[in-house]
Amino acid sequence: MKNVVLTGIGGQGTVLAAKVLAQAAQNRGWQVRTAETIGMAQRGGSVVSHVRMGDCGEQVHAPLVSAGQADALIAFEPGEAARVAHLLKPEGVLVSASRVVQPVTASLSKEVYEARPVIEALEARSGRTIIVDEAPLLAAVGNPKALNMVLLATAVQADAIGISLDGLKDAVRACVKPRFVDMNVAAIDEAAAALR
Amino acid sequence: MAEKLLMGNEAFACAALEAGVGVVAGYPGTPSSEVIETVAARVADGSSSGVHVEWSTNEKAALEVLAGASYAGARTLFTCKQVGLNVASDALMSLNYVGVEGGCVLFVADDPGPISSQTEQDTRRFASFAKVPVFDPADIEQGMDMMKAAFDLSERYRTPVIVRPTTRVCHSSTFVEVAPATSARPAKGFQKDDSRWVIFPARSYRGHLEVNERLAWIEAEFSGACASPHSDCGDAGEAAEGKRASFASGFAIDEGRSYTRLSSEGLIPAVAADMGRWGRDGSRSEGDCFDGLREGAPVARETAAVASGRVSFPPCDLSRFNPVEQCGSKDALPRLGVVCGGVSAAYAREALARIRSLAEERGEKMPAFRFMQVGTPFPFPMALADEFVEGLERVFVFEELDSVVEDELVRLMGMRSAAGKKAARVYGRRSMPQAAGENSVESVFAVLERVLFEEALRDVGASSAELSDRMDAFDERRTEEAAAQASKAVSVALPARPPVLCAGCPHRGAFYAAKRALKKLRVRGVFSGDIGCYTLGNAAPLNAVDTCLCMGAGITMAQGLGVVEPDVRQLAFVGDSTFFASGLTGIANAAYNGHDITVCVLDNSTTAMTGGQPHPGTGRRLMGSQAEALSIEAALEALGVKCIEHANPHCLEESVDAVMRAVEHHGVSAVVFRAPCVDLVGSASAVRIDAEACTGCKKCITSIGCPAIGFDGSVATVDETLCIGCGLCASVCPFGVIALPGKSE
Repeated sequence: MKNVVLTGIGGQGTVLAAKVLAQAAQNRGWQVRTAETIGMAQRGGSVVSHVRMGDCGEQVHAPLVSAGQADALIAFEPGEAARVAHLLKPEGVLVSASRVVQPVTASLSKEVYEARPVIEALEARSGRTIIVDEAPLLAAVGNPKALNMVLLATAVQADAIGISLDGLKDAVRACVKPRFVDMNVAAIDEAAAALR
Repeated sequence: MAEKLLMGNEAFACAALEAGVGVVAGYPGTPSSEVIETVAARVADGSSSGVHVEWSTNEKAALEVLAGASYAGARTLFTCKQVGLNVASDALMSLNYVGVEGGCVLFVADDPGPISSQTEQDTRRFASFAKVPVFDPADIEQGMDMMKAAFDLSERYRTPVIVRPTTRVCHSSTFVEVAPATSARPAKGFQKDDSRWVIFPARSYRGHLEVNERLAWIEAEFSGACASPHSDCGDAGEAAEGKRASFASGFAIDEGRSYTRLSSEGLIPAVAADMGRWGRDGSRSEGDCFDGLREGAPVARETAAVASGRVSFPPCDLSRFNPVEQCGSKDALPRLGVVCGGVSAAYAREALARIRSLAEERGEKMPAFRFMQVGTPFPFPMALADEFVEGLERVFVFEELDSVVEDELVRLMGMRSAAGKKAARVYGRRSMPQAAGENSVESVFAVLERVLFEEALRDVGASSAELSDRMDAFDERRTEEAAAQASKAVSVALPARPPVLCAGCPHRGAFYAAKRALKKLRVRGVFSGDIGCYTLGNAAPLNAVDTCLCMGAGITMAQGLGVVEPDVRQLAFVGDSTFFASGLTGIANAAYNGHDITVCVLDNSTTAMTGGQPHPGTGRRLMGSQAEALSIEAALEALGVKCIEHANPHCLEESVDAVMRAVEHHGVSAVVFRAPCVDLVGSASAVRIDAEACTGCKKCITSIGCPAIGFDGSVATVDETLCIGCGLCASVCPFGVIALPGKSE
């Protein structure tokens, strides 16, 4: 079983990323279940998507990843990564964007919410942690919405999901609107090149 | 058939379309909204034909539209979230007595947690209160099967049928096969029959008997009695059909047939014995079909391993929704039972798979136990459950929301005791620590791992002293493991990130203006809120929602609050969709009974919270055709509101003035705040903050709390990806350092 958790803030594109992963798993003939946060929490709140893939031919029953069972955690914001890091296996791979997004609660409080201490806490864990410097990659692609592909490609390159870059691209072609395919594939290539 | 990645709700919509549904109606509500949207999308792209689908003004309207369509013979599908059924309940309670013609299925999505709801109410309870059968799927695939079975059951017994998945089933996705094209089954039209369609007390008495009668039959079907013919059943199916036909043609009570309910003497419903039951090989067993059990043999039903979770049944056998599986060691008779409702069955299967693999790693044996999913909680499959619990000492029940299955099992144990049979102890939400909120694989694992460990010890004949020592050691190891895990956790202080009103949301300006207006008038006020995105106005720093009860309640609660405290100004906030769904009667009440309130209608031209559905005020129907937009002002006027003000909530001054005028009016007044939801606006350019001139006073943040404005420790900053340039912050800034887009500083 391969369990992947995607987390971020409502509107950042976790849902599409989960769909792409599910498609990639289906293309490999694995059973797959995903679960989404939909409804009120989407309005700028923390959101978590779960993708569970039966990579050894096993049946997937539950749509949610349990605590300590995720092979990979893909975070669109470092604070959101820390919030659900308990879902990761000790040896699981964590891929996180590096830019923090200020919630209103932080702006209202006296404490300043910064990326540095959060990233340090993430890097202190035992498993592999990859902090992506997304800004130059997104600038190269020319679209901030490509963050989901940049992060997915990074996780794939780290061999954390059990699918290949080509598998990821095929899945993008199958479930992204045709006019966005090139942009998303370009983002995957950018991220993969950066890691090489 | 094509395999597609579908969300549960999308899949259920496809299943209903495949069942030939002809009329679909509902009111949006998380986690149910995608069903109607999927039907609409398939009708729009031509893949489903002959279907009328609509967002009705509220759930009651929807169900009544469907009752009419069903009387005329169409298959109908109603959708709502759990609290929506409260609104439609008046129609449902009577509809069940009257009965239906075309299959009438109510898709009611429950929300354990709750994740997006006001209550954790359990529609399985509602079903038993309304005396309507209910299906409770564990996953998407089973839910699709249940949807189709529900239409069939509804038509065969002329009863409305509820299908109630929960959020984790509705909003999970998997690849399923769906028909590329479907068409609605033709309806034969309304047949006048006053003895049937007009409810009167005498008719209701007869109706109640009919309801009781059919529930007994349905209970037997849920336990495995086969009543519907299917090609797989051969001749025996036809024989069963003879009985069924006489039932449908006037309900057997007319034939003077007495029906024996499950009694403490027999414990086997006479009907099950009478109707016969399908064996695994398709043979029909006459008489008492539970003989094998009496001899202490394991349950008759073939038990595909729990791991598969899929057992093959003929399509007419509704007990396929209550699968029973024999698990673990084959050497001993089971003493333990695990019974699950809904998604908890998936959690338990997952937890059991993990426990099994852990046991294998340690070279330990899984003890014998039985597993059952109750997919038809009402009417509860008592005969099947009676068979299931035979010989068991303990039964653990995993279900969310209420203790529905647990209570039925306790009832069963009472009847068994009275009949001098062995009764197992039942553990569930009443006796286990978690009495509310969602279950999870972890929560089920925690219980089952311990219980199975204990059973395994008993299997090898551990003495009670040894048992107690080993269990203490087990608990100690668990505590240690939890502590070790906690010590390794990523630990860093994080700000909470609750959902908030979007950057540029027009509701923010309306709430802020109302607060300002009361301040200027130097009066106290209570802000009664309602259901929608604007409930989020309760968060800091706006703190502008003082109450929230249920759809439409803000307007009427304000009246009650005003009666007790006449000197306090009462403002009620209601969205445009909620206004038409359930605000109108409250306004009529205020005008008629002379209440002094101000209704603030937040008109953002959509039903935003649930994903942007049209409503009567938008001038757009679900299928995209133009309708005449109902005027909120005209409705207010017709309902007796004498003072109606208008404001663009992005213009602070205009909005404050409008609220002041309305609040000063004695009697019912209204302010219509009108500006479109940001989801309808698209991208726009951001405001600019002059970082040199910003004093860092944080007034923009502490007044309106827009998520596009941050604070870097010394000055306010703008997140240009979020800001739509509404300019509310510019009108709040005391130093004029925020510039609107397109304007120079």
